[in-house]
Amino acid sequence: MPRLTANGLNIHVQQAGSGPDVVLIHGLTGDLSIWFLSGTIPALAETHRVTAYDLRGHGYTDAPAEGYTSLDHARDLIGLLDVLGITRARLVGHSFGAVIAVHAAVIASERIDALVLSDPYFPALRHLEDVSQWGHWQNFCREAEDAGVTLSSDTWYDLTTFFDQVRHLDDERLLRFRQAVGLPGLKRVLRLAGTTCGRDSKLADGLSAEQIAGVLQPCLALYGANSPFLTTADYLIEHLPDCRGRRIPDALHRAPEENPEGFVVAVREFLESLQPAENCEVCQ
Amino acid sequence: MSTLTSEAAILADLRCVFRESLGVDPVTPISPETRFFADLGLASIDAVVLGEAIQHRSGRRIPFDQLLAELGRRDLRDLEISELIAFLQLHL
Repeated sequence: MPRLTANGLNIHVQQAGSGPDVVLIHGLTGDLSIWFLSGTIPALAETHRVTAYDLRGHGYTDAPAEGYTSLDHARDLIGLLDVLGITRARLVGHSFGAVIAVHAAVIASERIDALVLSDPYFPALRHLEDVSQWGHWQNFCREAEDAGVTLSSDTWYDLTTFFDQVRHLDDERLLRFRQAVGLPGLKRVLRLAGTTCGRDSKLADGLSAEQIAGVLQPCLALYGANSPFLTTADYLIEHLPDCRGRRIPDALHRAPEENPEGFVVAVREFLESLQPAENCEVCQ
Repeated sequence: MSTLTSEAAILADLRCVFRESLGVDPVTPISPETRFFADLGLASIDAVVLGEAIQHRSGRRIPFDQLLAELGRRDLRDLEISELIAFLQLHL
């Protein structure tokens, strides 16, 4: 299995294609398989060298006990670029993966050409969103309920609560949960629940509103048409110097799953609209 | 080599790969009707790793990305081992 050591971690990595580098970053509780299921990797591999990896704590990458803020993940990403010999890359991040992408652009601006931000919400911008209206959270609660885990409907995407509850399920509920997600899936959730991921995902850790607005690279704020985070989308478009917006029809918060064709088209068109890497003004 | 032998050989090989790469060795042996998610309780990331393991073992580039993209398009996202065998017969 392709694994590399970067930033002190064993990281599960996949690569395909040739051309300018693009790195795909999944969101919390996910893994790199989404980039295969959505067809993103083969589509982008026609014109790019595509790299996808599992975040720490996820998929087949190591899960250290601590260090799960967007800054920690961004450092892993830069470390991975170093090991892979990637000087500059375009980043495509989904949800918290997009937060990581922005944080990477803040700490290592010279390494990042452009960013696709797929439905992120930022800890530093949480005041923008009224989560009680978030239908997606209601769906997540319902799915968790079916699997025996009761979540509060007014806790803002509270992974900490979810993880705490999974860790303390009684035997019967644990069995139901296991039947819902499978044994390897259960083991991975428990592994992640044993880390500081839930707590750390709520921390800005330096990625303030000012830092976010200071990202100069071309950005695409790519949100589902019915995303719960459209206020954040508008904020990004308004405050970042070079950020355009696009909506994906028939999608809420998980466009790569909900409308993979629409997602891939939007990403391709944005990447193709960019100047070739060698003419990129940011690196001069 | 008859198709039946080749299918049986691939199935035997797959049981090895499941055991060695995914740690999956169910009490009821994996059969063509076994479903990857519903019966084996695996997830899509395990399908990715399975694809890697098969390629490594066979020494050939196999377009698992096609199979995974097809899986992603299904309403009922699951894969029977018989489909995996048929896919491998095309590409091995």
